[in-house]
Amino acid sequence: MSLLSRFRKGGGEDGARVRIQRRKALAAVLWKRLPVIRAALLLVGLLWMVIIPLPMLSQGTYIDENALQPAQVTTYWNWDEVHRADRYLDQIEEWLQRNITSIEKADLLVTEFQKLGIPAATQHYSYTYGDKVVQGANAYAVFSSPRASGAEAMVISASWLSRAGEGDGTLNRRGVPTVLALAAFLKSKFTTHLYYSLWSKDIIFVLSDGYMEGMHAWLSTYHGSVQSNLHADPLIPSSGVIWTALNIDYPGHSFSHIGLFLEGLNGRLPNQDLANSVQLISRYTGGVPVLLYDQFDPSEFPSKDVLGLPAWLPESLKSNREFKEFAYRAKNVLRHVGYQGRGVASGVHGLFHQFRIDAITLYGEPAPGPHGFHAMGRVVESSLRTTNNLLERLHASFFFYIMTSPHTFLKIGKYLPSAILISVSMMFGGIGEWVGAGWRARAQERGEEKESEKSGSREVKWERQSRPLLPAVYIVLYTHAFGLAVFLALTRTPTLSPAITLPLFMLCLTSPMPILYSLRSLARPSSQVAIPTILKSTTLCLASTVISVTSVLNFSLAAITAVLLGIPLTLASSSPMLPVRTVKYLAYACLAFGWMLGLPGEMQRALWSWEILGVWFAPFVCLVYAPLVMQAGLVCLLPM
Amino acid sequence: MTLALKAIPLPLLLYVLGTVASSTPETFHEELTLRPLRDGKVISRFSFSTLLGGAIPRNPDVLDAGNTPQHYSLFPLGLGQVLREYAATELHLSLNSGKWEYDRWGYPDEQEVGTGAQLWAWIGDGGQATVDERWKGLRNALAGLFCASIGSLDDQRTTSPTLAFAPEGDLPAWPLPHHLRHATLPSENVCTENLTPFLKLLPCKGLSGLASLLNPHRLFDADWHGMSVHVSWRARRGVEVRLAFQAVFDPVRMSTDRKRDWSLQSIFDRTIPKACPIAESSRIAVELPKNEAYAVDPRPTSVQDGVAVYDTSQVNDLDVSLRWPLESVFSYPLDHPAEPLSQVSVQRTLKGTSQSRGQLSVSIANSLPSEIQAIYLETMPWHVQFYLHTLKIVVDGQARDDLLSDIAYTPPEPHGRPALLESVLTLPPNSTTHLDMEVMKSFLRYTEHPPDAQRGWDLPPAVLVNFTPGGRRQRLYTRTLLVDLATPDFSMPYNVIIMSCTLIALTFGMVFNLMTRKFVVVRLKKGEKASKEKAD
Repeated sequence: MSLLSRFRKGGGEDGARVRIQRRKALAAVLWKRLPVIRAALLLVGLLWMVIIPLPMLSQGTYIDENALQPAQVTTYWNWDEVHRADRYLDQIEEWLQRNITSIEKADLLVTEFQKLGIPAATQHYSYTYGDKVVQGANAYAVFSSPRASGAEAMVISASWLSRAGEGDGTLNRRGVPTVLALAAFLKSKFTTHLYYSLWSKDIIFVLSDGYMEGMHAWLSTYHGSVQSNLHADPLIPSSGVIWTALNIDYPGHSFSHIGLFLEGLNGRLPNQDLANSVQLISRYTGGVPVLLYDQFDPSEFPSKDVLGLPAWLPESLKSNREFKEFAYRAKNVLRHVGYQGRGVASGVHGLFHQFRIDAITLYGEPAPGPHGFHAMGRVVESSLRTTNNLLERLHASFFFYIMTSPHTFLKIGKYLPSAILISVSMMFGGIGEWVGAGWRARAQERGEEKESEKSGSREVKWERQSRPLLPAVYIVLYTHAFGLAVFLALTRTPTLSPAITLPLFMLCLTSPMPILYSLRSLARPSSQVAIPTILKSTTLCLASTVISVTSVLNFSLAAITAVLLGIPLTLASSSPMLPVRTVKYLAYACLAFGWMLGLPGEMQRALWSWEILGVWFAPFVCLVYAPLVMQAGLVCLLPM
Repeated sequence: MTLALKAIPLPLLLYVLGTVASSTPETFHEELTLRPLRDGKVISRFSFSTLLGGAIPRNPDVLDAGNTPQHYSLFPLGLGQVLREYAATELHLSLNSGKWEYDRWGYPDEQEVGTGAQLWAWIGDGGQATVDERWKGLRNALAGLFCASIGSLDDQRTTSPTLAFAPEGDLPAWPLPHHLRHATLPSENVCTENLTPFLKLLPCKGLSGLASLLNPHRLFDADWHGMSVHVSWRARRGVEVRLAFQAVFDPVRMSTDRKRDWSLQSIFDRTIPKACPIAESSRIAVELPKNEAYAVDPRPTSVQDGVAVYDTSQVNDLDVSLRWPLESVFSYPLDHPAEPLSQVSVQRTLKGTSQSRGQLSVSIANSLPSEIQAIYLETMPWHVQFYLHTLKIVVDGQARDDLLSDIAYTPPEPHGRPALLESVLTLPPNSTTHLDMEVMKSFLRYTEHPPDAQRGWDLPPAVLVNFTPGGRRQRLYTRTLLVDLATPDFSMPYNVIIMSCTLIALTFGMVFNLMTRKFVVVRLKKGEKASKEKAD
């Protein structure tokens, strides 16, 4: 007891006073420096984003899951299989010359599987999108591995259209024969009979129609999550839980490198172990160099300009090795951010991730040589053996990364803080505005002022004022509801032509009219004064929360949002002059909705991705991003 | 010795043998059936049955009485002791690996083809030990006898589906009834360590007779393989133990020239060196192809109904082969067979991708022009709970809830017992019936996760019992399923410990601070006023 009382007395009253004063002084310093702190956080965050491609931030890739054992097996794929693949290719060329329909083509592919003794079937599907109907037919086969229960499966797939040109009609000319020859190889190669029975999982061969849509129909039917605008046949030969998938994309005659494509829908990534394994296998078993996407490494081609650097850059910089390395990695990171931020898949493999399947695309970079079916087959065979080794799910921590080159990557701790710092800066700003809105400087009496000037301290009388939160919240709700209305208008319109988007844009510009009108009718003009400040506070807090929550789900989207919102939202402020206010507002409105007129193609693609594949980018822009910018615009527009 | 034998009067010698023969007339029969399939595969089935004539199962009431000595000459002693100790009247154990494809292979000769281990027994009630105690003992004894993890078929996996698993033999009319105990373990596989004790139960072991073909190197490389043990009692005859081994081979993949010709040598890598001398009957039955040119060698003892039979009770180095001499390369049949090999085909999948909910969907195709009554049995460990009220039956796009009748449902008990759904299903002719049920995936306690690799949880196969045109009860097993339950990242306990300790320390610090602090009003003197918090 005595100890406790002594403890209580501890500092004594003087000590407490000192402590309180110290705390107050610290708060005052922080408060005084708040704009500097905010600006510093914002700038450090933005700078961090710029230096993400620096080689010193990256580290070398490694295999985390010991069971994978990549590139450790003898491969049996040989020239017989290359010959067989060539025969399949001849057959497909012949079908193409006959100009057969996709349904006939799927039937013929199924016959090829049945000739090998593998149960196969077709799946017809049709999407209704607006007033259009997209139809097609998939062919797939299930190789039930002997002795296995069929509870687990791996997928080898090839879409009919290649990702080269994002499904603009380039055929995956040699990807489909590779899958067929692989099926024949696994089923019937005599030298493989010794390990024919070692597969621990069923192997499903999927030859999907179209680019994305065929595989999407197949996968959603397989997992029983068919959306309302899709009609697809049920899958009769079925198998178990799919663990991994390899998508083969080989459009050209030969290839020089294998490109790895990782990004999936809504920013999902496959487990990095899979990409690392394939990278090692490709290098050591297939003897094929690996690319990230289809981006060549300047260190491999020192004499060629593979980066496509802008012409205005000085020649000394262009030939600088360090700069070229930085530019190479920056291109890869920007490519990644472009796919992940918009939520689009960089290949057909991207559809798998939503079903917890690790999948990547192996892209044969078209070139005059030197590699062909022989190398591709060996890489795929060895990769299958590697994924066949899996006894358990790949490790949970290996889904957060940014690849800067095929064999270097950034861990989450090296890139996540950049967006978080911007978000923290905005949150400080929001809280600062909220505190500031509660105080009002009172005009001081003349004599008092003089006295204070004499004493040298700037004494200002502050008095509390009420903070009208509700009107600000109504404005926030209104802008988000307006965003929803815009989104519905865009999705319900069958064809989006400038004749529709232009009036819609004008409507967006005039959307604050009801707010201005209702604010004018507010009885108390004194409270109206603080509304822009309160609104700015809520907007900043909301945007900060959105960025920090999104950053762990889809870092690229969070980064794009942080870059687009960080400075504009921080700088938004009202002005006494109406023309200035209007100009500022129009600038924000263009930032919010300008994509309607400026990027019609991008908008069409995003809406298509939402309708068919369920990509959240379009709703995110309409319901979250644009309303937040509009709120900043209203901060500018509302009178002080 | 011969002199001594001669010294015994002949009538006396006959008398001794006669009493032995009449008290326990044990007989041993062995049979191998080989059936080529349309897709070039060959089903082989070994069946070894030992009959203990005149014996009756032990009444559990006399379990406490002292043990009487057991003398068997052919009947497997190891199994006999287990049956006596736990007074099991009927017992069926199967250990299988692979997935039986009814559509392409037809109905199996041994119908217990569910993936993994399955054990079911009819046990009489009575005596000191309860049925469940004896079921537990039986499991553990069989686990030891066959080197399998049947011991883990605990209460969380045991059910009593009496409709689907009716006794195959007779049950003695004791005052107290018999009870069924049934359990499956889908992740258990059969391998060499199970075959060795299996062979030890045979009177000729693997040395002679048909059992000499049981070459583990080949059997366990087969596309499908499984062994089973069946004990049943026939009122007039006695207790019968039947050991069976079934395997599906693929001669096409084993041949260099891609032909489907096979012989015992090519399939088993062995021939039959000599007959088992104590077998009452021993035969090989080869089902001959229909409407095709074939050559079977050597000449069979007899041919009946397209089945070539070889009597192997007197053989010396026998190798049976079946060839298709006109065929240079085997080509797989292309279109769907006009006559499906099984009239009913079942497909069961678990859909849905979340870790909390899913959908169990079963589709059953009846290709017969007549209606079929079938028993549908679903046993689920409590990890996956299905909601019976969400059960929907759809035939050709129309809801047909009337097709399901006589529903017996035992709800699951979390951390305790599995769910059991047993009902009679009417399958309309030439149609596919879809059953859909919503399921909920449980959240496990952390100690309930196995210490193995995290690949998910195997769910036992559903069973559909229908009656074949011959009137035989035919059990169909579906594929097993794998379900992903929410799993913590077990490789990160260190991080978790650090995190939780930090939180506890912070909470404690704050609470302790508040509890020991004295709150007083401190007046700041005018002169030492800190800079005003609202400076600008």
